[in-house]
Amino acid sequence: MLAEAFKFPEINAILRWQDIFTSFNKIALIAVAAAVIGIVVFLLAGNKDAKVAPKGVRNLAETTVEFIEDGIVMQTMGKSGLGWTPFLLSLFIFIYLCNVPGIIPLLQMPATARMAIPMFLALLVWVVYNGVGLKHQGVKYITNTIWPPGVPVALKPLVGVIEFISNIIVRPFSLTVRLFANMLAGHILLVTFALLTQSLITAETQQLLLKPMAILPFFMLVFLTAFEVLVAFLQAYIFTILTAVYIGGAAHPEH
Amino acid sequence: MLTAVNHLQGLATRLAAEGVEVGEGPGPIVPELKELYWGAGSFIVFALLMRFYLFPRLKQGMDARYAGIRADHEQADAERASARAEVADYEAQLAAVKAEAAAKVDAARQALEAERQEQVKALNAQLAERRAAAQAETDAAKAAVRDQIHAAVADVAGRAGELATGRRPDATVVARVVNEVMAR
Repeated sequence: MLAEAFKFPEINAILRWQDIFTSFNKIALIAVAAAVIGIVVFLLAGNKDAKVAPKGVRNLAETTVEFIEDGIVMQTMGKSGLGWTPFLLSLFIFIYLCNVPGIIPLLQMPATARMAIPMFLALLVWVVYNGVGLKHQGVKYITNTIWPPGVPVALKPLVGVIEFISNIIVRPFSLTVRLFANMLAGHILLVTFALLTQSLITAETQQLLLKPMAILPFFMLVFLTAFEVLVAFLQAYIFTILTAVYIGGAAHPEH
Repeated sequence: MLTAVNHLQGLATRLAAEGVEVGEGPGPIVPELKELYWGAGSFIVFALLMRFYLFPRLKQGMDARYAGIRADHEQADAERASARAEVADYEAQLAAVKAEAAAKVDAARQALEAERQEQVKALNAQLAERRAAAQAETDAAKAAVRDQIHAAVADVAGRAGELATGRRPDATVVARVVNEVMAR
């Protein structure tokens, strides 16, 4: 009876969304909303009086800027990397605001639990850090990437293959999959426990103990929702800090 | 939370009702083109605005405020140093004035002591003079009294001699004998 009540929907049913209008679905809405919210917050923050102690929206914006500068740029690239703050700031805010809808009632879908956005951002980062490497090191960037300084000649073919795969292919792949898979897994877990709770509550059964047991998956659902708050922030942070590390490594290979 | 559950549950029904079959479309790990270009477009617009307008505007304000705070700190440091110098200067002046006052008090004390000594000396001299005068006066009075006693004793002795012998003894002899007897 319970097994019949608990029917997990097809994976696409919890991931794919019907179009709100032509070629514009919930994922697109979340992506556009993330950009609009980011723009509006920074516009409002910029309009506030900068001379007085920041509060409200300006405090939020300045805290985010300082978090990116002190917590990411200075830690990975040093002072010379401060020029990358706007890009890393955009990346962090956009990813975070795409992650957070996973726990917002009614929306309940992180845009990064779909492959498109993580893949685009990872490819963009790939283009950026390779561009930075070529700009700073010229053609030597390719040899430095494939053969790090100090590699014995005999090992060069082996190390070359490993480093090429690691730096050129695995990095964008890992960036994409880390973000996408974490957010997708969180989303599926939330759906699972939500459906399990509902199935136990609405189950047509003679076993009196079954319905009160719905409290167990419900507590798990609450716990996972709180956990997803952390995951949303953490994944945005990890993606941004890895981007900073890749750009810093490309600009300053000696580090 | 129940709203969300109902939302999810109703999803499959709604998809079917609107002609989209559950499970239709690419697999979950295949990027959908519409999501790709909306996501990319949104991010690119956001990143460009952030790079050329939003961030510089915010950062300019932050830098200006931090510069102001730094300047205020520096000014406060300078004023603190100036105040400390003024306090040190005041303390030095105070010490100089105290030293000067102490010197003046010492000088006055010494002058007073010298004056006191002089006055004591003068008074002592005056006392010695008066004492000597009084002594002389006393001595003169004593001598006068002694002469009177001698004269009286000599007179009594002369009268006694006259009564005893019937003749009055020589006054000079009586006076000498009286003097010798009284001098013992």
